[in-house]
Amino acid sequence: MSALLEIEQGIESLLTEPPYGVDPQHRHRTLLALLKKELAYACDRNARFRNYVEHWPIDFHVAEEIADLPYLPVGAFKANPPLALIGADDVKRILTSSATTGQVPSRVVLDAATARRMAKGVITIVRDFIGPARRPYLVIDVPENLTTRTELGARGAAIQALGSFATEVVSCLRPGQEADSSLDLDKLLACAEKWKEADVLVYGFTYVIWTQFVQPLQRQGITLGIPNVHVLHSGGWKRLEQQSVTRDVFIRGVASVFGCSADRILDYYGMVENVGVIYPDCDQGNKHVPAFAEVIVRDPLTLAPVKAGQRGLIQVCSVLPTSFPGFLLLTEDMAEVISYDNCPCGRRGTSFRFAGRAPKAEVRGCGNLENTRYRQAQAIGVA
Amino acid sequence: MNDLIQVVDSPEKMACAGRQLREIVRQKEIAPNSVLEVFERWAAALDDRELHEVPGVTFLRLWLRRGTLEPILLRELGPNSLNGGWQADGRARLQAFPLGVVGHWPAGNIEIQPILSLSCALLGGNCCIVRVPSGLVGVTQRVIEKLRKVDRDGLLSERIFMATFDHSRIDLHEAMAQAVDGAMIWGGAEAVSQVRGLQFPHWARVLVFGPRLSAAAMDAETWGDGKERSSWCRRIARDVWQFDQQACSSPQTLFLERGAGCDPDEFVKDLRQAFQEENRQHPRLQVEPALTSAICLARASWLLDNVDNRALFPASPDWTVLLGTGTEMPNPTQGRTLSVLVVDDLLRAISTFDGTLQTLGLGVKDARKEEVLARAAGRSGVDRIIKLGRMHVFSSPWDGTELIRPMVRFVRHVPSQD
Repeated sequence: MSALLEIEQGIESLLTEPPYGVDPQHRHRTLLALLKKELAYACDRNARFRNYVEHWPIDFHVAEEIADLPYLPVGAFKANPPLALIGADDVKRILTSSATTGQVPSRVVLDAATARRMAKGVITIVRDFIGPARRPYLVIDVPENLTTRTELGARGAAIQALGSFATEVVSCLRPGQEADSSLDLDKLLACAEKWKEADVLVYGFTYVIWTQFVQPLQRQGITLGIPNVHVLHSGGWKRLEQQSVTRDVFIRGVASVFGCSADRILDYYGMVENVGVIYPDCDQGNKHVPAFAEVIVRDPLTLAPVKAGQRGLIQVCSVLPTSFPGFLLLTEDMAEVISYDNCPCGRRGTSFRFAGRAPKAEVRGCGNLENTRYRQAQAIGVA
Repeated sequence: MNDLIQVVDSPEKMACAGRQLREIVRQKEIAPNSVLEVFERWAAALDDRELHEVPGVTFLRLWLRRGTLEPILLRELGPNSLNGGWQADGRARLQAFPLGVVGHWPAGNIEIQPILSLSCALLGGNCCIVRVPSGLVGVTQRVIEKLRKVDRDGLLSERIFMATFDHSRIDLHEAMAQAVDGAMIWGGAEAVSQVRGLQFPHWARVLVFGPRLSAAAMDAETWGDGKERSSWCRRIARDVWQFDQQACSSPQTLFLERGAGCDPDEFVKDLRQAFQEENRQHPRLQVEPALTSAICLARASWLLDNVDNRALFPASPDWTVLLGTGTEMPNPTQGRTLSVLVVDDLLRAISTFDGTLQTLGLGVKDARKEEVLARAAGRSGVDRIIKLGRMHVFSSPWDGTELIRPMVRFVRHVPSQD
């Protein structure tokens, strides 16, 4: 059997397990073995990645913990051309992260198999939170982000990942100048009238939902009266925090415009580099890891895994990708580990809470340059 | 907090402190010798077990000694400057007078920098307002307490106003800038640009130190010498460790001249040993998560960019050695991440430097070769060329600038009786 086939069978097997029902120790053994095979496969396919792995202080072949395996920082995917394990002909889609202004976005390449697994991973997770039924799908975004393209941004990828739950898809924002889209109220009210008591799935980026959906509806005093919605949102809180909008205010606002209870609103953490894995909040407010993935929270001082109750940098692990080496990724985000098992919600394994982006270093020494004189001169075209 | 470092929360308080200090400068002259006498006692008082763990205090004790400062004073202010007063200058005479009130904006990463900056201005007879970065308040207070104890007449203490306030309080930075006649600004690009842009009085002299980078270089004869190599590696480790490699004098890249029979892999093995030992003696006690991320990214980028690149690092972010070739310095990561680049010719590497480079640490056996390298470095904008292991030794000139003279005025008097 080829190495890839063996890996694919291992992944499929994990995808059929109950996502949050596997005993953590059993899961650790299974994941460790599969991740080692994936690392070996990736080393065969990419000499640059092999160079990195060969310099790792612990030989992954003999590692006894997932935490000892070589992980890449997510920033490594900002390279151009993107770090890949497939040839250009096999690239089906390129996902790009939502980089802030002036920053280089991450780019990850997907082949057909990885794209399929990505969809399956998200479905498996979301089904555990909202049930398996297909239902109308309201997208709080512009129609452009619904179309399938070779290169897809974070918003488009998140929207399309939930497409399998849809009986019909409606986007309720109209495109405007640059980031200024506006609510298509007539379309929205028509849907609300049609759907009423039906189960409905809603997705949008957190700040888009607030600024372009909740606020306009609140200003006009409109309640949609769709109590059986599940509203999924992601993308982070930074922009809303800048506007002093807390989670409570957000949840109450969203619940009031839909006319639903607060537990119908699910915030999830995710990133394009961690394809096929998202981390929604459970009813205890904790995030969980599915059977085909793992999360390790590392102490920034030692990079060792933290104990329950401690904070650190989030490392995400997933067996799903085979088109790029995104199995083990150190993010620039912080989290607190709540427990390593036995969350009262019943889901097994690690539970954690997102704690924001790692803050930019405050102490900037006299050795901190933004640019050298030569590079600055080059940038303005005089050198 | 006691009265040694005041929490300033209004521009009026800052302006008031400025007025009081200016009055002292007007009323009382102080000769460098008198300052040196207090500094000597201060240096002795700093030899206290409680202060031994404070980074840089050992150096500060040496710095404040007459033996260190007197030669600097004589060079910068003139051969008869110690007692103050007029010095003959042909038919005229000259005397160094203080600018008045000097404002100090030290960087937040070097524990003793508020005191070093302050000491330069005091030697010129100035009064000082020092903005102490929030992270250095505790350390600075302990050091300044020692001055209070030995400065029984308040000769220097009355000339110092130490203030702390949030770095985002632009109104207080503005008030401080308005209150001074001179400024000594230290720090990274962001901080320096911000302070430099304040509205100083049009007569104020503004002296900026940093932001700069530093590098090191060794010829093949030196690093290829198996007997001396570990000693050189310990020196490099010492330079990298101090100030967590965030100082302008911290080496970010080490250039190794290629040589027959010299194996860079052997060299970095010794370097690893030196780094491990330095880390054992001086472990990091805390780290910004963003720095840890940057270190992990530097390791990955280096090895992913080029399959010929090599690296040595532990599982922790404690230290990193990146080994490759080329003459251009990679973007600095700091946090004890040293790029080691093998080059055919050190001169070619030095010719890529620009004025961004402050210090070049050298390990070169042949004095004539060093002479050529030093001249090339000087032409390329480097301000300090110094033996490896001593890259952080603070001295005058710094950043190509004298430390005392810029904060004094040389007053020329041509007697009217002539």
